[in-house]
Amino acid sequence: MSRRYDSEAARRGLRHFSPAVVRLLLVLCLVVLASSVSAQQQSATEISREVKEIFARSSKAVVKIRGVDQHGKLAGTGFFIDPTGTLFTAFSVGADADNFTVEFDGKEFPARQLMSDRRSGVAMLKVDDITTPALPIGRSEELEVATPVITVGFPLDLPQTPSFGMVAGFDRKFLGRYFSTTHLRLNLPTQRGEAGAPLLNFKGEVVGILVSSVDNSSACYALPIAAAEKIRSDYVRFGEARHGWVGINVAPAAKSVEGSRAQFTEIMPGTPAAECGAKPGDILLEVGKTKVHEPEDVIDASFFITAGDTVPITVMRGEEKLTLTVEADFHPAAQRPPVIASPFLLGR
Amino acid sequence: MNEFNENDIGTLLRLKRHEQPPPDYFDNFLHEFHRRQRAELLRQPLWRIALQRAQDFMLQLNVPTLTSYPAAATAVVVCAAVLSLKVYQTPESATAMPAVATVAVQQQAAPVAVSVASTVTDDDESWSLSTRDFGSTPFRSVSDGARTHRPAASPRYVLDSTPVSYEPSLRF
Repeated sequence: MSRRYDSEAARRGLRHFSPAVVRLLLVLCLVVLASSVSAQQQSATEISREVKEIFARSSKAVVKIRGVDQHGKLAGTGFFIDPTGTLFTAFSVGADADNFTVEFDGKEFPARQLMSDRRSGVAMLKVDDITTPALPIGRSEELEVATPVITVGFPLDLPQTPSFGMVAGFDRKFLGRYFSTTHLRLNLPTQRGEAGAPLLNFKGEVVGILVSSVDNSSACYALPIAAAEKIRSDYVRFGEARHGWVGINVAPAAKSVEGSRAQFTEIMPGTPAAECGAKPGDILLEVGKTKVHEPEDVIDASFFITAGDTVPITVMRGEEKLTLTVEADFHPAAQRPPVIASPFLLGR
Repeated sequence: MNEFNENDIGTLLRLKRHEQPPPDYFDNFLHEFHRRQRAELLRQPLWRIALQRAQDFMLQLNVPTLTSYPAAATAVVVCAAVLSLKVYQTPESATAMPAVATVAVQQQAAPVAVSVASTVTDDDESWSLSTRDFGSTPFRSVSDGARTHRPAASPRYVLDSTPVSYEPSLRF
């Protein structure tokens, strides 16, 4: 009896819904079903559209670079960073070769080397007497793990090719050795010929320069554009890259002091550190305005020091906090080629 | 109704005035009515019951008023467009995949040792040794098939297997 009563009540309840409401519910169900089915396809289409847009916008400023070195002809990728024909490329493309040519707008233009820097892994070339498109410079500091990125390069003898991937990590160390500054590890397929290609964010801005592949080319390393811009700034100021050097070895301390575990283990004689009064055992807190927490933090803190600049270094010695002022010298690991006359300096 | 005149109807009403159902007739009236209704429904085949239910549902939704030739034509065109787009897109992606895979295989098999060597200088012996080691991983083995796609006169396509900025210790 009670079951019958329930079924009657249910029928009566359904009848309370007007046909308009039932129709609306039906339509809503269909819309939800259709949207859920097509959502995945839509997001893929959206990504594809954005990649296409960035590729179309950036491709004119990305060029194929050819040169000749002691082993023969080589080919890589580069990109214009200003309208006067200045190019960034990888050190392995633009450092040891000469007779450079740049394939731009369907023509070959001769190019000359402005500078190359082994420590950062970049080189700058210039095509004279032409006006070129230039890629906007972005902020590599804003990148995070899983940020989507795009690169445009010239793999092998193939035409310009976009590749899509994401930031996989920020590495200071690879296979037991340290980088000069944090490198971007990218889950992005690369091929030979793409060294020097720009790494672009989804705004179409350059956030890095492709410098090497990882393992079987399924991933790669890129130098953050902030590091490359530091080198360009050095070039504009001095006509060469000027990596700063203080002369201190750092290792992990037994315990953290003031939030830092970076301890001076060796002060090299005859270096700026020896002259400023730094001592083994001091705990490093800051280099310039950059705070140091771990020994590896000195990699980035020191990369942006320019030789000749005065840098304040804050340390803890026992219970005392000291600020030492150091005039940075030239980094011994940096290759110092003969100073090439900068067009910027010549114009002054 | 014309068979009965007013007198006949009056006589019938007088006779029926004293006819009454048993006392518990109305207590069970609704239940009995539904039982008989269901029994009557079950005499029909199942497909007819389902058809009637569907018709009732459609009538409740007022579907006939919604249908019109322009609406039907538009729906057909939209469906055809969606289906044709899907059919058009599927073979394209299916054919694009092998092409990419082929390039990747060729690229993996191609030699890279020369591009690494270009970045090595005499004053950096440790670097030289380490890169040679990386270059000889099984992924980089050179096959004759890979060589055929690259003529001898073509340039060396550069992409190092390790970054050039490599330092042995934490010093600054």
